[in-house]
Amino acid sequence: MPSPSLPWTAGGWQAERRRAFGLGLAPALAVLLLITLLPAAALLVGSLTPLSLTDPAGSFRFDDPLVNYRHLLEDERFLGSIATQLKLSAASVVLQLGVGLGLALLLDGRSRLLASARTAFLIPMVLPPIVVALIWKIIYTPDVSPMHRALEHLGLPVHSLIANPGTALWAIAVADTWQWFPFTLLMVLAALQTMPAEPLEAARLDGASRWQLFRFIVLAHIRPVLVVCGLFRLIDSFKAFPLIYVLTDGGPGNATEVTNYYGFIQAFNFSYWGYGSAIAMVILAGVFLLSWGVGRLGWNTHEHDTDR
Amino acid sequence: MSTTLTADTPLLHAPPAPAAPLVHAPALPAARRPRTAWLRRHGRSLAAALVLAAVLFPFLWLVQLAFRPAEAVFDDALLFRPTLDGFASLLQGNFLRSFWNSLVVSTLSTVMSLLIGVPAAYALTRWRFRGRRHVALWILVTRMAPPIAFTIPFFLAWRWLGLQDTLLGLALVYLTFNLAIVIWLMQTFFEAVPPALEEAAYIDGCGVWQAFRRIALPLAAPGLAATAVLCFVFSWNDFFYALILTRTQAVTAPVAIVNFLQYEGWEWTKIAAAGTLVALPVVVFTVLVRRYLVRGLTAGGVKD
Repeated sequence: MPSPSLPWTAGGWQAERRRAFGLGLAPALAVLLLITLLPAAALLVGSLTPLSLTDPAGSFRFDDPLVNYRHLLEDERFLGSIATQLKLSAASVVLQLGVGLGLALLLDGRSRLLASARTAFLIPMVLPPIVVALIWKIIYTPDVSPMHRALEHLGLPVHSLIANPGTALWAIAVADTWQWFPFTLLMVLAALQTMPAEPLEAARLDGASRWQLFRFIVLAHIRPVLVVCGLFRLIDSFKAFPLIYVLTDGGPGNATEVTNYYGFIQAFNFSYWGYGSAIAMVILAGVFLLSWGVGRLGWNTHEHDTDR
Repeated sequence: MSTTLTADTPLLHAPPAPAAPLVHAPALPAARRPRTAWLRRHGRSLAAALVLAAVLFPFLWLVQLAFRPAEAVFDDALLFRPTLDGFASLLQGNFLRSFWNSLVVSTLSTVMSLLIGVPAAYALTRWRFRGRRHVALWILVTRMAPPIAFTIPFFLAWRWLGLQDTLLGLALVYLTFNLAIVIWLMQTFFEAVPPALEEAAYIDGCGVWQAFRRIALPLAAPGLAATAVLCFVFSWNDFFYALILTRTQAVTAPVAIVNFLQYEGWEWTKIAAAGTLVALPVVVFTVLVRRYLVRGLTAGGVKD
């Protein structure tokens, strides 16, 4: 393995170099092991026990390890939360991709104004999520909301969108889209800037329409990025928490109770830690599956055509 | 690009014209192109400015609410005499303390993750060992993992270790995401440093870490600063961990805002002032490091 071709290389130097690098890497790996793999293992073990606040004595009983998972299959509220999660994720990811792509095409230009607009458009994504939740709490609270007041002036008063089971999930999807469309915007802009000019010019000379240029050249170029973006946002959408916590608290009824939120309620409102762990394991499994998809689909394959 | 094209277009366009659909020909008269191009460019800027105003409107509404007098919160008038009452009322409660907690936790976590993560990133960049890809992938996956998966074990362990509701405990938990960010980002910055410089230093008798300290680290300094800012912002922004792992002593600013919402009724100006204050450092940092921000926010997404 060590390359003996370098003239100044002695075997001892290579070994020393390896040892030095190992020394630099070891603390980080040890800490990562302690704070990621160990908790993950603890979560798995915990999910096999009936651990809860009311039953600390029964904490480490393994007589029926799959009891939590069996309950999950019969728990209507859990199954409902998965359906809610899928609806919310699908809606917000599609919206984000659409808005992000559209804005990226609009902002892909060389003027200074566009360049500073590109920075300003990042603000929703970098704001603390709790501030985003606060912003939308204000927008969705009829008393103080500029939206509700404007609609009232137009003679179209609407009731609070987050108090209505039919619209609450959509209201959250809109807020989530507002927060996260800049991610797609950033990635698509980066892809657009690495797009070679020749195919576009050639196609233009051949008389392609603007739609054809977009459909067959631009879209073909940014499609891998869009796929990666979609998967990343899909994975992150399972973590949606502050928006739901502040805007609806899972309600009205269970209309906006996503799986993550249900796990939070079971673990930290009811202190059913074992059951909460089982829910978290299900989410973790979903995330792993999707991450594996990211690895397969885009992230590894297009590393050669993004320029550095 | 379009200017060079206009000169060539009529010449090159003429021969294939019969093959191309006839409707298409009048759409591109050579004389009109510069003007439409000019219009298109400015139309684009105009549209971008309008969309930007619409997108930022909810945020700006929060900020103006913070400066409104309490009695004018429900007014329609856009003109009002701005006041700092909302901010002043924050001074009385525990908000300042939570703001301070946020600062300490974010700084502590940033320093710890840089100390551990930067050497690791350097080793991963320069040392092509077997299994390097697996380590990199593992680090990426920790970025993906949902916080709830970590929270339950940490909650139980911190209760047992007495780290619950402490700043140190929270800063340690933030390593779960900050360490991944540091290792991932700093690799891209170290890759940009030519290895030949370090090899020259080796020949001059430098050890690996001496070369790192004297050559690679100074050259990657801007990247280091940007990484530190991002770690700070990610810790600053956290709500979920802080909500669960703190009670009274180590409450951070985002949790304090939620407590306002839940326990102090609907004092909108006060709540908006708190939100504005918490958003302020992040917005300032965004402007400061916008060049590097893109990399940090899409870390793992684009392999740049």
